[in-house]
Amino acid sequence: MDKILSLKEIHYRYHLDAPNVLTDLSLDIPSGKITAILGPNGIGKTTLLHILLGLLKPFQGEVAVAGKPHREYSRQELSQLIGLVPQLESIPFNFSVFEYVLLGRSPYLKPFQLPGKEDLRITEEALESAGIYHLMNKPVTELSGGERQLVQISRVLTQQTRILLLDEPTAHLDLENQNRILSLLKRMSSRGITTVLTTHDPNAAIFAADHFVLMSQGNIAAQGGLRGVITAENLSLIYKTPIRVEQTNGFTMVVMDKVK
Amino acid sequence: MNKKTYSRTILILGLGILVLLLASVFVGRYPKPFWLPPGLLSQDLLARQLVLNLRLPRLLTAFLLGMVLSATGSVMQMVFRNPLVEPGFLGVSQGAAFGAAVSILWLNRHPLVIELSATFFGLLALLTSYLLSTRIRYGGWVLRLILSGVAVSAFFSAGVGVLKYIADPLTELPELTFWLLGGLYSVTWRDLLFALPFALAGIVIAFVMRWRVNLLSLNDDTAFSLGASLTRERIILLIVTISATAALTAISGIIGWVGLIIPHISRRLFGASAEKSIPAAMLLGGGFTVFADDLARTLLPGEIPLGILTSAIGAGLFIYLMVSIGLKVRRDG
Repeated sequence: MDKILSLKEIHYRYHLDAPNVLTDLSLDIPSGKITAILGPNGIGKTTLLHILLGLLKPFQGEVAVAGKPHREYSRQELSQLIGLVPQLESIPFNFSVFEYVLLGRSPYLKPFQLPGKEDLRITEEALESAGIYHLMNKPVTELSGGERQLVQISRVLTQQTRILLLDEPTAHLDLENQNRILSLLKRMSSRGITTVLTTHDPNAAIFAADHFVLMSQGNIAAQGGLRGVITAENLSLIYKTPIRVEQTNGFTMVVMDKVK
Repeated sequence: MNKKTYSRTILILGLGILVLLLASVFVGRYPKPFWLPPGLLSQDLLARQLVLNLRLPRLLTAFLLGMVLSATGSVMQMVFRNPLVEPGFLGVSQGAAFGAAVSILWLNRHPLVIELSATFFGLLALLTSYLLSTRIRYGGWVLRLILSGVAVSAFFSAGVGVLKYIADPLTELPELTFWLLGGLYSVTWRDLLFALPFALAGIVIAFVMRWRVNLLSLNDDTAFSLGASLTRERIILLIVTISATAALTAISGIIGWVGLIIPHISRRLFGASAEKSIPAAMLLGGGFTVFADDLARTLLPGEIPLGILTSAIGAGLFIYLMVSIGLKVRRDG
Protein backbone atom coordinates (compact mmCIF):
# COMPACT_ATOMS: atom_id res chain seq x y z
CA MET A 1 0.00 0.00 0.00
CA ASP A 2 1.33 3.41 -0.99
CA LYS A 3 0.75 5.52 2.11
CA ILE A 4 0.69 9.29 2.02
CA LEU A 5 -0.23 10.02 5.64
CA SER A 6 0.89 7.96 8.55
CA LEU A 7 0.39 8.20 12.28
CA LYS A 8 2.72 6.31 14.57
CA GLU A 9 1.95 5.57 18.21
CA ILE A 10 0.00 8.78 18.74
CA HIS A 11 -1.05 9.81 22.23
CA TYR A 12 -3.19 12.92 22.61
CA ARG A 13 -5.01 14.74 25.42
CA TYR A 14 -6.33 18.30 25.53
CA HIS A 15 -4.72 19.26 28.84
CA LEU A 16 -1.87 17.75 30.79
CA ASP A 17 -4.23 16.53 33.50
CA ALA A 18 -7.06 15.46 31.16
CA PRO A 19 -7.64 11.83 30.15
CA ASN A 20 -6.26 10.64 26.80
CA VAL A 21 -8.48 11.19 23.75
CA LEU A 22 -6.23 9.05 21.57
CA THR A 23 -4.00 6.31 22.98
CA ASP A 24 -1.18 4.63 21.10
CA LEU A 25 -2.92 5.07 17.78
CA SER A 26 -1.15 4.02 14.59
CA LEU A 27 -2.71 4.43 11.16
CA ASP A 28 -1.69 4.56 7.50
CA ILE A 29 -3.80 6.39 4.93
CA PRO A 30 -3.52 4.97 1.38
CA SER A 31 -2.58 7.42 -1.34
CA GLY A 32 -5.19 8.44 -3.95
CA LYS A 33 -8.06 6.65 -2.20
CA ILE A 34 -11.02 7.70 -0.10
CA THR A 35 -10.61 6.68 3.51
CA ALA A 36 -13.63 6.86 5.81
CA ILE A 37 -13.06 7.15 9.55
CA LEU A 38 -16.13 5.75 11.26
CA GLY A 39 -17.18 5.81 14.85
CA PRO A 40 -19.80 7.11 17.26
CA ASN A 41 -20.01 10.80 18.21
CA GLY A 42 -17.31 12.08 20.54
CA ILE A 43 -14.87 9.25 19.94
CA GLY A 44 -12.02 11.53 18.73
CA LYS A 45 -12.57 11.61 14.95
CA THR A 46 -12.24 15.41 14.72
CA THR A 47 -9.21 15.32 17.01
CA LEU A 48 -7.63 12.78 14.69
CA LEU A 49 -8.27 15.03 11.66
CA HIS A 50 -6.78 18.03 13.48
CA ILE A 51 -3.68 15.96 14.26
CA LEU A 52 -3.37 14.92 10.60
CA LEU A 53 -3.69 18.60 9.66
CA GLY A 54 -0.99 19.62 12.13
CA LEU A 55 -3.27 21.96 14.11
CA LEU A 56 -2.96 19.75 17.20
CA LYS A 57 0.42 18.39 18.21
CA PRO A 58 0.39 14.89 19.73
CA PHE A 59 1.93 14.45 23.17
CA GLN A 60 3.76 11.42 21.88
CA GLY A 61 4.20 9.80 18.51
CA GLU A 62 4.81 11.08 15.02
CA VAL A 63 2.77 12.21 12.04
CA ALA A 64 4.36 11.87 8.62
CA VAL A 65 3.13 13.38 5.34
CA ALA A 66 4.53 11.84 2.16
CA GLY A 67 7.26 10.20 4.20
CA LYS A 68 8.43 13.37 5.97
CA PRO A 69 7.48 14.32 9.56
CA HIS A 70 5.09 17.27 9.98
CA ARG A 71 7.68 19.43 11.69
CA GLU A 72 9.94 19.41 8.64
CA TYR A 73 7.33 21.29 6.62
CA SER A 74 6.78 25.05 6.81
CA ARG A 75 3.23 26.33 7.44
CA GLN A 76 2.99 27.32 3.80
CA GLU A 77 4.24 23.98 2.42
CA LEU A 78 1.80 22.08 4.60
CA SER A 79 -1.12 24.25 3.52
CA GLN A 80 -0.27 23.53 -0.13
CA LEU A 81 -0.39 19.81 0.70
CA ILE A 82 -3.38 19.31 3.01
CA GLY A 83 -6.80 21.00 2.79
CA LEU A 84 -9.59 20.88 5.36
CA VAL A 85 -13.36 21.13 5.25
CA PRO A 86 -14.41 21.51 8.89
CA GLN A 87 -17.75 20.29 10.15
CA LEU A 88 -19.40 23.57 11.03
CA GLU A 89 -17.64 26.51 9.47
CA SER A 90 -19.29 29.57 10.95
CA ILE A 91 -18.78 32.63 8.78
CA PRO A 92 -19.87 35.76 10.64
CA PHE A 93 -19.37 38.12 7.68
CA ASN A 94 -21.25 37.89 4.43
CA PHE A 95 -18.49 37.13 1.97
CA SER A 96 -19.80 36.39 -1.48
CA VAL A 97 -19.34 32.77 -2.57
CA PHE A 98 -16.58 33.90 -4.96
CA GLU A 99 -14.73 35.90 -2.29
CA TYR A 100 -14.92 32.98 0.13
CA VAL A 101 -13.76 30.34 -2.37
CA LEU A 102 -10.91 32.63 -3.49
CA LEU A 103 -9.51 32.41 0.06
CA GLY A 104 -8.40 28.89 -0.88
CA ARG A 105 -5.59 30.48 -2.89
CA SER A 106 -3.97 31.91 0.26
CA PRO A 107 -1.30 29.19 0.58
CA TYR A 108 0.16 30.35 -2.74
CA LEU A 109 0.32 34.06 -1.85
CA LYS A 110 3.30 35.80 -0.29
CA PRO A 111 2.57 37.52 3.08
CA PHE A 112 1.48 40.88 1.59
CA GLN A 113 0.33 39.60 -1.80
CA LEU A 114 -3.22 39.75 -3.16
CA PRO A 115 -4.70 37.12 -5.50
CA GLY A 116 -4.04 37.71 -9.20
CA LYS A 117 -5.67 36.77 -12.50
CA GLU A 118 -4.51 33.14 -12.31
CA ASP A 119 -6.04 32.78 -8.84
CA LEU A 120 -9.35 34.16 -10.09
CA ARG A 121 -9.31 31.68 -12.98
CA ILE A 122 -8.62 28.71 -10.69
CA THR A 123 -11.46 29.86 -8.43
CA GLU A 124 -13.90 30.00 -11.34
CA GLU A 125 -12.83 26.51 -12.40
CA ALA A 126 -13.38 25.15 -8.90
CA LEU A 127 -16.88 26.67 -8.76
CA GLU A 128 -17.65 25.12 -12.10
CA SER A 129 -16.46 21.63 -11.21
CA ALA A 130 -18.50 21.72 -7.99
CA GLY A 131 -21.51 22.79 -10.05
CA ILE A 132 -22.10 26.05 -8.17
CA TYR A 133 -20.83 28.61 -10.68
CA HIS A 134 -24.26 30.25 -10.67
CA LEU A 135 -23.99 30.96 -6.93
CA MET A 136 -20.81 33.00 -7.37
CA ASN A 137 -22.24 36.33 -6.24
CA LYS A 138 -24.54 35.03 -3.53
CA PRO A 139 -23.61 35.83 0.10
CA VAL A 140 -22.40 32.70 1.91
CA THR A 141 -24.69 33.47 4.84
CA GLU A 142 -27.72 32.97 2.58
CA LEU A 143 -26.89 29.46 1.34
CA SER A 144 -28.65 26.20 2.17
CA GLY A 145 -26.74 23.47 4.01
CA GLY A 146 -25.96 21.53 0.83
CA GLU A 147 -24.85 24.62 -1.11
CA ARG A 148 -22.67 25.69 1.77
CA GLN A 149 -20.92 22.33 1.88
CA LEU A 150 -20.28 22.54 -1.89
CA VAL A 151 -18.86 26.05 -1.40
CA GLN A 152 -16.50 24.78 1.29
CA ILE A 153 -15.36 21.94 -0.96
CA SER A 154 -14.80 24.44 -3.79
CA ARG A 155 -12.56 26.39 -1.42
CA VAL A 156 -10.34 23.33 -0.87
CA LEU A 157 -10.41 22.64 -4.62
CA THR A 158 -8.83 26.06 -5.27
CA GLN A 159 -6.24 25.13 -2.66
CA GLN A 160 -5.12 22.37 -5.05
CA THR A 161 -3.86 20.05 -2.33
CA ARG A 162 -2.97 16.39 -2.74
CA ILE A 163 -4.74 15.53 0.50
CA LEU A 164 -8.26 16.50 1.57
CA LEU A 165 -9.59 16.15 5.09
CA LEU A 166 -13.35 16.42 5.55
CA ASP A 167 -15.08 16.40 8.91
CA GLU A 168 -18.57 14.88 8.67
CA PRO A 169 -19.15 16.26 5.15
CA THR A 170 -22.66 14.78 4.88
CA ALA A 171 -23.98 15.39 8.39
CA HIS A 172 -27.27 17.34 8.39
CA LEU A 173 -27.72 16.95 4.63
CA ASP A 174 -30.69 15.38 2.84
CA LEU A 175 -30.14 12.35 0.58
CA GLU A 176 -29.89 14.34 -2.65
CA ASN A 177 -27.21 16.60 -1.21
CA GLN A 178 -25.38 13.67 0.36
CA ASN A 179 -25.26 12.11 -3.08
CA ARG A 180 -23.98 15.34 -4.67
CA ILE A 181 -21.20 15.77 -2.12
CA LEU A 182 -20.06 12.14 -2.08
CA SER A 183 -20.14 11.89 -5.89
CA LEU A 184 -18.01 15.03 -6.11
CA LEU A 185 -15.52 13.52 -3.67
CA LYS A 186 -15.39 10.34 -5.78
CA ARG A 187 -14.70 12.38 -8.91
CA MET A 188 -11.86 14.16 -7.15
CA SER A 189 -10.47 10.89 -5.87
CA SER A 190 -10.43 9.53 -9.42
CA ARG A 191 -8.06 12.41 -10.22
CA GLY A 192 -5.64 11.06 -7.61
CA ILE A 193 -6.55 13.23 -4.61
CA THR A 194 -6.26 11.42 -1.29
CA THR A 195 -9.41 11.97 0.73
CA VAL A 196 -9.97 11.34 4.42
CA LEU A 197 -13.48 11.85 5.72
CA THR A 198 -15.02 11.25 9.08
CA THR A 199 -18.60 10.15 9.42
CA HIS A 200 -20.85 8.55 11.97
CA ASP A 201 -23.02 7.17 9.16
CA PRO A 202 -21.73 3.80 7.84
CA ASN A 203 -23.92 3.97 4.71
CA ALA A 204 -22.36 7.27 3.61
CA ALA A 205 -18.95 5.68 4.11
CA ILE A 206 -19.90 2.58 2.11
CA PHE A 207 -21.20 4.79 -0.73
CA ALA A 208 -17.93 6.66 -1.16
CA ALA A 209 -14.95 5.05 0.52
CA ASP A 210 -12.33 2.51 -0.58
CA HIS A 211 -10.69 2.14 2.80
CA PHE A 212 -12.44 1.96 6.18
CA VAL A 213 -11.20 2.78 9.65
CA LEU A 214 -13.35 2.01 12.69
CA MET A 215 -12.58 4.00 15.81
CA SER A 216 -13.40 2.94 19.31
CA GLN A 217 -12.27 4.37 22.65
CA GLY A 218 -9.41 6.47 21.35
CA ASN A 219 -7.96 3.82 19.12
CA ILE A 220 -8.50 1.87 15.91
CA ALA A 221 -10.85 -1.10 16.26
CA ALA A 222 -10.49 -2.30 12.68
CA GLN A 223 -9.24 -1.06 9.33
CA GLY A 224 -9.14 -2.32 5.77
CA GLY A 225 -11.55 -2.97 2.88
CA LEU A 226 -15.35 -3.05 3.01
CA ARG A 227 -15.79 -6.81 3.58
CA GLY A 228 -13.33 -7.09 6.42
CA VAL A 229 -14.33 -3.97 8.35
CA ILE A 230 -18.03 -3.31 7.80
CA THR A 231 -19.38 -6.37 9.58
CA ALA A 232 -22.38 -6.68 11.87
CA GLU A 233 -20.10 -7.76 14.67
CA ASN A 234 -17.67 -4.79 14.36
CA LEU A 235 -20.38 -2.18 13.99
CA SER A 236 -22.58 -3.55 16.79
CA LEU A 237 -19.54 -3.43 19.04
CA ILE A 238 -18.46 0.18 18.36
CA TYR A 239 -21.95 1.69 18.12
CA LYS A 240 -23.11 -0.31 21.15
CA THR A 241 -26.39 -1.21 19.47
CA PRO A 242 -27.46 -4.26 17.42
CA ILE A 243 -26.66 -3.65 13.75
CA ARG A 244 -27.18 -5.82 10.65
CA VAL A 245 -25.19 -5.65 7.43
CA GLU A 246 -27.25 -6.66 4.39
CA GLN A 247 -26.41 -7.32 0.76
CA THR A 248 -28.97 -6.36 -1.86
CA ASN A 249 -28.23 -6.44 -5.58
CA GLY A 250 -24.53 -6.23 -4.91
CA PHE A 251 -24.88 -3.26 -2.54
CA THR A 252 -23.88 -3.42 1.10
CA MET A 253 -26.25 -1.68 3.47
CA VAL A 254 -26.11 -1.13 7.21
CA VAL A 255 -29.39 -1.20 9.14
CA MET A 256 -30.19 -0.89 12.80
CA ASP A 257 -31.60 -4.04 14.27
CA LYS A 258 -34.61 -3.84 16.55
CA VAL A 259 -33.61 -3.80 20.19
CA LYS A 260 -35.34 -6.76 21.78
CA MET B 1 -18.12 44.38 -6.82
CA ASN B 2 -15.49 43.71 -9.48
CA LYS B 3 -12.01 45.20 -9.46
CA LYS B 4 -12.73 47.85 -12.07
CA THR B 5 -15.88 49.20 -10.40
CA TYR B 6 -14.10 49.09 -7.06
CA SER B 7 -11.08 51.05 -8.29
CA ARG B 8 -13.34 53.62 -9.89
CA THR B 9 -15.48 54.00 -6.76
CA ILE B 10 -12.40 54.34 -4.54
CA LEU B 11 -10.97 56.95 -6.90
CA ILE B 12 -14.18 58.98 -6.78
CA LEU B 13 -14.36 58.59 -3.01
CA GLY B 14 -10.73 59.68 -2.68
CA LEU B 15 -11.30 62.75 -4.86
CA GLY B 16 -14.43 63.62 -2.87
CA ILE B 17 -12.47 63.42 0.35
CA LEU B 18 -9.69 65.56 -1.11
CA VAL B 19 -12.27 68.22 -1.94
CA LEU B 20 -13.69 67.91 1.58
CA LEU B 21 -10.20 68.33 3.08
CA LEU B 22 -9.47 71.39 0.94
CA ALA B 23 -12.84 72.94 1.72
CA SER B 24 -12.40 72.19 5.42
CA VAL B 25 -9.34 74.47 5.48
CA PHE B 26 -11.67 77.37 4.80
CA VAL B 27 -14.60 76.25 6.93
CA GLY B 28 -14.78 77.79 10.39
CA ARG B 29 -15.84 80.86 12.30
CA TYR B 30 -13.11 83.31 11.32
CA PRO B 31 -13.40 86.04 10.25
CA LYS B 32 -17.15 85.43 10.34
CA PRO B 33 -19.16 82.19 10.68
CA PHE B 34 -18.81 79.34 8.22
CA TRP B 35 -16.38 80.49 5.51
CA LEU B 36 -12.98 82.06 5.18
CA PRO B 37 -12.57 83.48 1.67
CA PRO B 38 -9.33 81.99 0.24
CA GLY B 39 -8.25 85.41 -1.03
CA LEU B 40 -8.01 86.63 2.53
CA LEU B 41 -5.01 84.38 3.19
CA SER B 42 -2.66 86.68 1.30
CA GLN B 43 -3.83 89.79 3.16
CA ASP B 44 -4.67 88.70 6.69
CA LEU B 45 -1.72 87.48 8.78
CA LEU B 46 -4.00 86.13 11.48
CA ALA B 47 -5.99 84.11 8.94
CA ARG B 48 -2.77 82.65 7.56
CA GLN B 49 -1.51 81.69 11.01
CA LEU B 50 -4.90 80.26 11.89
CA VAL B 51 -4.86 78.03 8.84
CA LEU B 52 -1.22 76.97 9.11
CA ASN B 53 -0.94 76.43 12.84
CA LEU B 54 -4.45 75.44 13.92
CA ARG B 55 -6.62 74.22 11.09
CA LEU B 56 -4.10 72.21 9.08
CA PRO B 57 -2.75 70.08 11.96
CA ARG B 58 -6.30 69.67 13.24
CA LEU B 59 -7.61 68.56 9.86
CA LEU B 60 -4.81 66.09 9.31
CA THR B 61 -5.21 64.71 12.82
CA ALA B 62 -8.97 64.30 12.29
CA PHE B 63 -8.31 62.48 9.03
CA LEU B 64 -5.70 60.18 10.56
CA LEU B 65 -7.89 59.57 13.60
CA GLY B 66 -10.80 58.51 11.41
CA MET B 67 -8.57 56.27 9.30
CA VAL B 68 -7.00 54.62 12.33
CA LEU B 69 -10.28 54.10 14.21
CA SER B 70 -11.93 52.55 11.14
CA ALA B 71 -8.92 50.38 10.28
CA THR B 72 -8.67 49.20 13.88
CA GLY B 73 -12.41 48.56 14.04
CA SER B 74 -12.36 46.58 10.78
CA VAL B 75 -9.35 44.53 11.85
CA MET B 76 -10.72 43.84 15.33
CA GLN B 77 -14.21 42.90 14.13
CA MET B 78 -12.76 40.38 11.71
CA VAL B 79 -9.99 39.03 13.93
CA PHE B 80 -12.44 38.59 16.82
CA ARG B 81 -15.06 37.26 14.40
CA ASN B 82 -17.58 39.56 15.98
CA PRO B 83 -19.19 42.47 14.13
CA LEU B 84 -19.92 44.36 17.35
CA VAL B 85 -16.35 44.83 18.50
CA GLU B 86 -14.86 48.33 18.39
CA PRO B 87 -11.42 49.76 19.15
CA GLY B 88 -12.30 50.61 22.76
CA PHE B 89 -12.81 46.93 23.37
CA LEU B 90 -10.15 45.34 25.61
CA GLY B 91 -10.09 48.41 27.84
CA VAL B 92 -7.95 50.57 25.56
CA SER B 93 -10.21 53.66 25.61
CA GLN B 94 -10.90 53.55 29.34
CA GLY B 95 -7.23 52.85 30.02
CA ALA B 96 -6.23 55.88 27.95
CA ALA B 97 -8.85 58.00 29.72
CA PHE B 98 -7.48 56.92 33.07
CA GLY B 99 -3.95 57.77 31.93
CA ALA B 100 -5.03 61.24 30.82
CA ALA B 101 -6.85 61.80 34.12
CA VAL B 102 -3.82 60.74 36.14
CA SER B 103 -1.70 63.16 34.18
CA ILE B 104 -4.15 66.07 34.51
CA LEU B 105 -4.49 65.54 38.26
CA TRP B 106 -1.06 64.55 39.40
CA LEU B 107 1.62 64.63 36.78
CA ASN B 108 1.51 67.52 34.43
CA ARG B 109 -1.07 69.24 32.29
CA HIS B 110 1.37 69.65 29.45
CA PRO B 111 -0.29 68.03 26.41
CA LEU B 112 2.68 65.83 25.64
CA VAL B 113 2.68 64.40 29.15
CA ILE B 114 -1.07 63.75 28.92
CA GLU B 115 -0.55 61.98 25.59
CA LEU B 116 2.28 59.82 26.85
CA SER B 117 0.37 58.90 29.98
CA ALA B 118 -2.80 58.09 28.01
CA THR B 119 -0.88 55.95 25.50
CA PHE B 120 0.92 54.16 28.30
CA PHE B 121 -2.25 53.31 30.22
CA GLY B 122 -4.13 52.41 27.02
CA LEU B 123 -1.48 49.86 26.16
CA LEU B 124 -1.30 48.72 29.78
CA ALA B 125 -5.05 48.00 29.65
CA LEU B 126 -4.54 45.99 26.45
CA LEU B 127 -1.72 43.99 28.01
CA THR B 128 -3.73 43.39 31.21
CA SER B 129 -6.74 42.19 29.21
CA TYR B 130 -4.54 39.85 27.25
CA LEU B 131 -2.72 38.41 30.26
CA LEU B 132 -5.97 38.05 32.19
CA SER B 133 -7.53 36.18 29.26
CA THR B 134 -4.74 33.62 29.33
CA ARG B 135 -5.63 32.83 32.96
CA ILE B 136 -9.32 32.18 32.32
CA ARG B 137 -9.82 28.44 32.08
CA TYR B 138 -12.98 28.16 30.03
CA GLY B 139 -14.47 29.35 26.74
CA GLY B 140 -12.82 29.99 23.38
CA TRP B 141 -10.21 32.72 23.05
CA VAL B 142 -12.72 35.31 21.82
CA LEU B 143 -14.96 34.83 24.84
CA ARG B 144 -11.97 34.94 27.19
CA LEU B 145 -10.73 38.23 25.69
CA ILE B 146 -14.21 39.77 25.74
CA LEU B 147 -14.66 38.84 29.40
CA SER B 148 -11.28 40.15 30.46
CA GLY B 149 -11.72 43.27 28.28
CA VAL B 150 -15.02 44.04 29.99
CA ALA B 151 -13.47 43.59 33.43
CA VAL B 152 -10.37 45.69 32.68
CA SER B 153 -12.50 48.39 31.05
CA ALA B 154 -14.79 48.56 34.09
CA PHE B 155 -11.79 48.73 36.39
CA PHE B 156 -10.26 51.73 34.58
CA SER B 157 -13.65 53.35 34.19
CA ALA B 158 -14.11 53.13 37.98
CA GLY B 159 -10.64 54.68 38.32
CA VAL B 160 -11.67 57.59 36.07
CA GLY B 161 -14.81 58.00 38.21
CA VAL B 162 -12.73 58.25 41.37
CA LEU B 163 -10.37 60.77 39.78
CA LYS B 164 -13.30 62.91 38.59
CA TYR B 165 -14.72 62.80 42.09
CA ILE B 166 -11.52 64.06 43.70
CA ALA B 167 -10.58 66.50 40.92
CA ASP B 168 -10.65 70.22 41.69
CA PRO B 169 -14.02 71.32 40.26
CA LEU B 170 -12.67 74.70 39.17
CA THR B 171 -9.39 73.82 37.51
CA GLU B 172 -8.99 70.11 36.91
CA LEU B 173 -12.53 68.84 36.39
CA PRO B 174 -13.40 70.98 33.33
CA GLU B 175 -10.23 69.96 31.52
CA LEU B 176 -10.75 66.32 32.43
CA THR B 177 -14.40 66.36 31.34
CA PHE B 178 -13.61 68.03 28.04
CA TRP B 179 -10.89 65.48 27.38
CA LEU B 180 -13.28 62.63 28.14
CA LEU B 181 -15.90 64.04 25.76
CA GLY B 182 -13.29 64.05 23.04
CA GLY B 183 -12.17 66.87 20.80
CA LEU B 184 -9.40 68.14 18.59
CA TYR B 185 -9.59 71.79 19.68
CA SER B 186 -6.05 71.93 21.03
CA VAL B 187 -4.18 69.89 18.40
CA THR B 188 -0.81 71.28 17.37
CA TRP B 189 1.78 70.13 14.84
CA ARG B 190 3.75 68.66 17.71
CA ASP B 191 0.81 66.50 18.82
CA LEU B 192 0.40 65.28 15.29
CA LEU B 193 4.10 64.44 14.99
CA PHE B 194 3.93 62.50 18.25
CA ALA B 195 1.11 60.27 17.01
CA LEU B 196 2.22 60.06 13.38
CA PRO B 197 4.62 57.08 13.61
CA PHE B 198 2.05 54.97 15.52
CA ALA B 199 -0.76 56.01 13.19
CA LEU B 200 1.21 55.30 10.02
CA ALA B 201 2.40 51.94 11.35
CA GLY B 202 -1.20 50.96 12.12
CA ILE B 203 -2.55 52.14 8.78
CA VAL B 204 0.23 50.57 6.70
CA ILE B 205 0.17 47.20 8.49
CA ALA B 206 -3.65 46.97 8.36
CA PHE B 207 -3.46 47.81 4.65
CA VAL B 208 -0.75 45.38 3.59
CA MET B 209 -2.02 42.54 5.79
CA ARG B 210 -5.64 42.88 4.77
CA TRP B 211 -5.74 39.56 2.92
CA ARG B 212 -4.51 37.85 6.09
CA VAL B 213 -7.32 39.57 8.03
CA ASN B 214 -9.77 37.66 5.82
CA LEU B 215 -8.15 34.38 6.83
CA LEU B 216 -8.28 35.27 10.51
CA SER B 217 -12.04 35.81 10.27
CA LEU B 218 -12.53 32.10 9.53
CA ASN B 219 -12.68 29.18 11.97
CA ASP B 220 -9.32 28.49 13.62
CA ASP B 221 -8.94 25.13 11.88
CA THR B 222 -9.83 26.53 8.44
CA ALA B 223 -7.50 29.51 8.85
CA PHE B 224 -4.71 27.15 9.95
CA SER B 225 -5.30 24.84 7.00
CA LEU B 226 -4.94 27.86 4.70
CA GLY B 227 -1.51 28.61 6.12
CA ALA B 228 -2.27 31.29 8.72
CA SER B 229 0.04 31.50 11.74
CA LEU B 230 -2.89 32.33 13.99
CA THR B 231 -1.26 33.63 17.16
CA ARG B 232 1.55 35.53 15.48
CA GLU B 233 -0.62 37.25 12.88
CA ARG B 234 -3.32 38.16 15.40
CA ILE B 235 -0.79 39.66 17.80
CA ILE B 236 0.95 41.72 15.10
CA LEU B 237 -2.33 43.11 13.77
CA LEU B 238 -3.85 43.87 17.16
CA ILE B 239 -0.73 45.48 18.63
CA VAL B 240 -0.06 47.86 15.74
CA THR B 241 -3.66 48.93 15.24
CA ILE B 242 -4.44 49.33 18.93
CA SER B 243 -1.19 51.25 19.54
CA ALA B 244 -2.22 53.60 16.74
CA THR B 245 -5.63 54.03 18.37
CA ALA B 246 -4.10 54.65 21.79
CA ALA B 247 -1.66 57.26 20.44
CA LEU B 248 -4.44 59.18 18.67
CA THR B 249 -6.92 58.78 21.53
CA ALA B 250 -4.26 60.41 23.68
CA ILE B 251 -4.63 63.57 21.56
CA SER B 252 -8.33 63.49 20.83
CA GLY B 253 -9.93 61.99 23.90
CA ILE B 254 -12.53 59.28 23.49
CA ILE B 255 -14.14 59.42 20.03
CA GLY B 256 -16.87 56.84 19.95
CA TRP B 257 -18.71 54.99 17.20
CA VAL B 258 -16.38 55.73 14.26
CA GLY B 259 -14.56 52.41 14.71
CA LEU B 260 -17.82 50.51 15.06
CA ILE B 261 -20.06 51.97 12.39
CA ILE B 262 -17.65 52.83 9.55
CA PRO B 263 -16.47 49.21 9.06
CA HIS B 264 -20.13 48.16 8.83
CA ILE B 265 -20.89 50.78 6.20
CA SER B 266 -17.76 49.85 4.27
CA ARG B 267 -18.64 46.14 4.25
CA ARG B 268 -22.15 46.98 3.09
CA LEU B 269 -20.88 49.10 0.23
CA PHE B 270 -17.80 47.14 -0.83
CA GLY B 271 -18.45 43.57 0.37
CA ALA B 272 -17.12 41.61 3.33
CA SER B 273 -13.67 40.83 1.94
CA ALA B 274 -11.10 42.91 3.79
CA GLU B 275 -9.19 43.24 0.53
CA LYS B 276 -11.72 45.88 -0.48
CA SER B 277 -13.48 46.84 2.74
CA ILE B 278 -10.42 47.90 4.78
CA PRO B 279 -9.02 50.51 2.36
CA ALA B 280 -12.54 51.82 1.82
CA ALA B 281 -13.22 51.94 5.57
CA MET B 282 -10.05 53.99 6.07
CA LEU B 283 -11.13 56.57 3.49
CA LEU B 284 -14.73 56.69 4.74
CA GLY B 285 -13.59 56.96 8.37
CA GLY B 286 -11.15 59.76 7.59
CA GLY B 287 -13.78 61.67 5.64
CA PHE B 288 -16.46 61.11 8.29
CA THR B 289 -14.25 62.36 11.12
CA VAL B 290 -13.10 65.44 9.17
CA PHE B 291 -16.74 66.23 8.39
CA ALA B 292 -17.82 65.74 12.02
CA ASP B 293 -14.94 67.93 13.17
CA ASP B 294 -15.95 70.66 10.70
CA LEU B 295 -19.37 70.64 12.32
CA ALA B 296 -17.81 70.56 15.80
CA ARG B 297 -15.90 73.78 15.26
CA THR B 298 -18.40 75.62 13.11
CA LEU B 299 -21.98 74.97 14.18
CA LEU B 300 -21.94 76.88 17.47
CA PRO B 301 -19.91 79.86 18.61
CA GLY B 302 -18.29 77.55 21.16
CA GLU B 303 -16.71 74.20 20.35
CA ILE B 304 -18.95 71.11 20.38
CA PRO B 305 -16.94 68.13 21.67
CA LEU B 306 -16.20 65.90 18.66
CA GLY B 307 -16.99 62.72 20.61
CA ILE B 308 -20.56 63.93 21.13
CA LEU B 309 -21.04 64.55 17.42
CA THR B 310 -19.51 61.28 16.21
CA SER B 311 -21.63 59.38 18.75
CA ALA B 312 -24.81 61.20 17.78
CA ILE B 313 -24.27 60.87 14.02
CA GLY B 314 -22.88 57.34 14.37
CA ALA B 315 -25.78 56.14 16.50
CA GLY B 316 -28.23 57.73 14.04
CA LEU B 317 -26.59 55.95 11.10
CA PHE B 318 -26.52 52.71 13.04
CA ILE B 319 -30.24 52.87 13.78
CA TYR B 320 -30.95 53.78 10.15
CA LEU B 321 -28.91 50.81 8.91
CA MET B 322 -30.56 48.39 11.32
CA VAL B 323 -34.10 49.50 10.64
CA SER B 324 -33.98 50.13 6.91
CA ILE B 325 -31.65 47.63 5.33
CA GLY B 326 -30.47 45.35 8.12
CA LEU B 327 -26.83 44.90 9.01
CA LYS B 328 -26.56 41.70 7.02
CA VAL B 329 -24.31 40.13 9.57
CA ARG B 330 -25.41 36.85 10.96
CA ARG B 331 -23.86 34.46 13.33
CA ASP B 332 -24.51 30.99 12.19
CA GLY B 333 -23.29 27.47 12.63
